[in-house]
Amino acid sequence: MSSSKENGKISRRSFIALAGGAAGAMALASMGMPMGWAENNPEIDVDALGLDKFNTDVLVIGSGMAGLFAAVKAHDAGAKVMMVSKGRLGSSGQTPFAKGIFAFDPEKEELSIDEFVAKISRSAMGSNNEAYTRQMAEHSLDRVNELKSWGFFDSAIYNKSFSKPINERNIPVHERIVVTHLIKEDEKIVGAAGFSVDEQKVLIYEAKSVILCTGAGGFKPNGFPIGDLTHDGTIMAYDIGAKVTGKEWNDGHPGRAENPAACYDGWGDMFENKPSTVSVEVHHDLGVDLNYMVYASGNSVTMGRPGEGDMNAVSGGPFTPEEFKRQETGRRPGPQSDEGRPPRGEGKPPGGGKPPKDGGGGPPGMSGTPVGGSSAGMAIHKSEGLVPINERCESNIPGLYAAGDALGSYMSGGIYTQIGSSLAGSAVQGGVAGEAAAKYSKTVGSVSISDAKIKDVEEEILAPLKREAGYSPAWVTQTLQGIMIPNFILYVKKENLMKGALAYIEELRDQHMGHLRAANLHDLRLAHETRNMIVSAEMKLRASLMRKESRCSHYRLDYPEMDDENWRAWINIYKGEDGTMQLEKQPFGQWPNQGAEIV
Amino acid sequence: MGLVMKKERKIYQYLPLVLAFIVLPLLLWFLSDFPERSLQMNALSLLTILAFSLLLAQFFLSRTNRDMVKKVKMSNVLKIHKFIGYVFIGIIMLHPFFILVPKFLDDAVSPKDAFIRVITSFDNIGLVLGLVAYSAMLVIMITSFFRFKLHMKYRTWRTFHAYLTTIFIVAAIWHAITLGRHSNGAFTLFYVITGASGIFFLIRMYVLKPSKKPIKNV
Amino acid sequence: MAIESINGCIGCEECIKSCPTDVIRLDQKTKKAIITFPEDCQICHLCRLYCPVDAITITPEKSIPVIVSWG
Repeated sequence: MSSSKENGKISRRSFIALAGGAAGAMALASMGMPMGWAENNPEIDVDALGLDKFNTDVLVIGSGMAGLFAAVKAHDAGAKVMMVSKGRLGSSGQTPFAKGIFAFDPEKEELSIDEFVAKISRSAMGSNNEAYTRQMAEHSLDRVNELKSWGFFDSAIYNKSFSKPINERNIPVHERIVVTHLIKEDEKIVGAAGFSVDEQKVLIYEAKSVILCTGAGGFKPNGFPIGDLTHDGTIMAYDIGAKVTGKEWNDGHPGRAENPAACYDGWGDMFENKPSTVSVEVHHDLGVDLNYMVYASGNSVTMGRPGEGDMNAVSGGPFTPEEFKRQETGRRPGPQSDEGRPPRGEGKPPGGGKPPKDGGGGPPGMSGTPVGGSSAGMAIHKSEGLVPINERCESNIPGLYAAGDALGSYMSGGIYTQIGSSLAGSAVQGGVAGEAAAKYSKTVGSVSISDAKIKDVEEEILAPLKREAGYSPAWVTQTLQGIMIPNFILYVKKENLMKGALAYIEELRDQHMGHLRAANLHDLRLAHETRNMIVSAEMKLRASLMRKESRCSHYRLDYPEMDDENWRAWINIYKGEDGTMQLEKQPFGQWPNQGAEIV
Repeated sequence: MGLVMKKERKIYQYLPLVLAFIVLPLLLWFLSDFPERSLQMNALSLLTILAFSLLLAQFFLSRTNRDMVKKVKMSNVLKIHKFIGYVFIGIIMLHPFFILVPKFLDDAVSPKDAFIRVITSFDNIGLVLGLVAYSAMLVIMITSFFRFKLHMKYRTWRTFHAYLTTIFIVAAIWHAITLGRHSNGAFTLFYVITGASGIFFLIRMYVLKPSKKPIKNV
Repeated sequence: MAIESINGCIGCEECIKSCPTDVIRLDQKTKKAIITFPEDCQICHLCRLYCPVDAITITPEKSIPVIVSWG
C-alpha cells in the first residue's frame, strides 16, 4: 500500500474517531491510557498481512490439560498432530490454577467405580452423563501417573512438565495464535483459521480432524482467572452447526470485597502451590446458594459472612440433597490437608473446587467480606460446551471433537461433585478425544480449504482492523458485564428480568457486534473475544429462560422446585437455518441422535 | 597529641570518598521510589549497590588519586584498596545468586532453571556485558591474589590491572544501567560520573602524563 | 493498577508468553518486557511466577473504566 494512501486513511479515521470518540477517549485518558487507544487508527498495515498455511491430520486447539493429552494421545495413535493455542502451553485457561487432580485408585478406595458413579449421579440429581463420569474415574489414575512421569507434581507452574511429552514427540506448538474460525466443507471439518497476536499473519490450518480443548469461559469477570476464556471454541463450533449445551448452569464462586479483581490474592498462595492428587470426596457444591442468601436477606455485609453459622437463617433457595449437606459449618480440614494441599478441602479453585462457605478464620486470602460473581458467565465445569454424540468426545460435526471444559460432557452434571475431578476429567477426555480423532483422521482422504473460503474467512478475521470507526471491545465488554453479571440476572433468575437482559444482549448482538474496532492485534483478539461473549450471553439467557425449574446450580426464583416430569433433560442449542438460536431438549441418560441410552 | 591530630587528619582525607561512595548511593536509594520488596531482598539489593559503589571507589583509593596519596601513606591506601577489593568483589560475585533467592522460596521456576536461563541469554546485551564484567572481575581478583606467583614485573602487572579494571568497569556500568533493578536516572548519572572520573584518573596516569617521579612512601 | 512495574528485566520473554491475557509485550528497542495492556491484567501472578529474576511487581488494586454511553 502506498504511504500517501495510508496517510490519507489514517487522517480520515483519526478525524472520525476524534469527532465521535472524544468522550470515550477522555474517559480512557482519565484512566491513564494513551489517548490514541480509543481511536481506530490501525497501527498495522492490514493489507500487508501475511498468510501461512499448515496441514495436519489432527489439529488440537488449546494447550491446557485437555489439549496436552489430546495432542499426546493422537500422536501416539499414529496421527500427525499440531497444537495451536491462544496462550502458552500449560499457562493459559484455567489449567495453570488447578492444583488438585482426582485419581481413582481402586486399590485404595472404599467405593467401587459403580458405587462412585452412583453417588455422583445422586449428587447431580440425574444431570450427569454416567458414561463420562465412569470414564473419568476409570482413566484418571493412568493419566495422573503419566503426569507424574513428566514432572507435573514437581512445580507450581506447568509449562516445563507439559513441554516434556510434547517435545519428545516433536509435536509442533503454535502459541499466541487466536483461532477464530472452524472451517467445514461438505458437511465435515476441514480445518481452522486464526491470527497471530505477535506477527502480522493470518494462519490457516488444514486438518482432517479438529479437537477443541478451548476450555469454558465467562464474561471476563473480576476475581477469577478466566480473563482469556470467552467460550471461543464453543462459539466457533456453534457457527458451523455444532450443538452446544449446558448454558443454564452457574459456577458460583464468590470473590472478596477487598480488591475483588485480584485473582491471586483471592486464593491466598494457592496459585503458587504444587499440584497434588485427591481421592474420592463427593460433594454437592453449589456456590449459587450464597447468591440466593444475599438476594433474600439484603447484603452479605449485614449478615456477617455468608455460610457462617446457620445455613437455615434464610429459607428456600437452591436445594441440596440431604445426603450431601455439610455436617459441620466450620471449615473442613479435609483428609488431604496432610498432603500439603491448601486447607480449603478443595484442590482446584478454578476447576471444580468450591469456595469456602465458612468463616472460621478462613483459608488464606479468602477471609473478609465475600462478593458475588467472581466467575460470572461460566457454568459448571464439563457441563457446558459441545454436545457429545457418544462417549468418544465426538460432536455432531464429523471430524470435530472436544475435550475438557469445551465439551458438554456432563461428567459431573450441573453441580460440582467430586473435588479435583475437573482437572482429571480434562486429562481423561483429552486422551479419549485424541485417540478418537486420530482414528477418524485415518478414514479421511487429504483435506484442503479452497482459496475462496480462505478469502472469506480472512475478511471476517480482519474486519475490526479495517473499520474506520466503531465500538471498542473494552467498552462493549463492560456494557455486557453490566447487563449479565448482576445477581438478579445471572444467579437468582426470573422470567421478566431475563427477558429484559435478553433484549439488551440482542441489542449488543445486532448493533454492536458488527461494529467492533481494533487498532492492533491485541485489540483484534479482544474484538473476537467480545463477539463470543455476546453470543454466549444470549445462549445463557435463552437456556435459563427455557428451563422452567430449579435444579443443581440453575435457580429460578419463579420456578423454585425441581420438575422431574418435564425437566429430566439437558438443553441443546444450535444455529437454525435462518441463523437464529434454536433450543431443544435431550433427555437425561440418552445420547442425542437416536436416543440411544447412555450406559 | 600530634599523633592523634595526624590520625584525625588522615580520616578526614577519606571523608569525601565516604560521602560519595557510601552516603550518596544510600541517599539515592532512599529517595527513589522503588517497588516494595521483602526486607531480605531489599537488604541484598542494597548490599549489591554498595558493593558496586565501593568498587567504583577503588579508582580513588589508589595511586591514581595523587592528591590523596600525597597526604595519606600509600601503604594505608593500599590496605583499604585490598580490603575493599577482596570483600566487595566477593559480594558482587554473589549478586547473580541474590537474584535467584526468591526462586528458592517458591515452587515455580526452579533456581537451577532460572540460573541457566540467566547465564544463557546471549541475545541480551546487558547480560553478555554482565558476563564479560564478571569474567574480568574474576581475573582481576585472581591476578591480584597471586600477584607474586605470576612473576610479572610490578609495572606490567599494574598496567594490566588498570586496563582490566577499565574493561570491567565499562562493562559493569553498562550492565548495571541496562539491567539493574534499581537503575533509575539518578543511579545512572552516579555510575557514569564516577566511572568516567575513575577512568580519567587512569588515563591521566597511564596515558597522558606518566609519572616520572616514583612515589617513595610505598 | 494490577501489574505495576518490571524492574531488572533480562528480556527472556517468559512473562510475555505466560500471560494469559496478553498484557506484556517486548520493547523491540530495549529488548525488555513492557507492560502494554494493563487494563487486561487479571492479577493472576503467572508472569511473576515464570520470571526467572523476580522482576515483576504486582499490586492487588485495579480500577474499572468509567461508564460512558458509548466508547
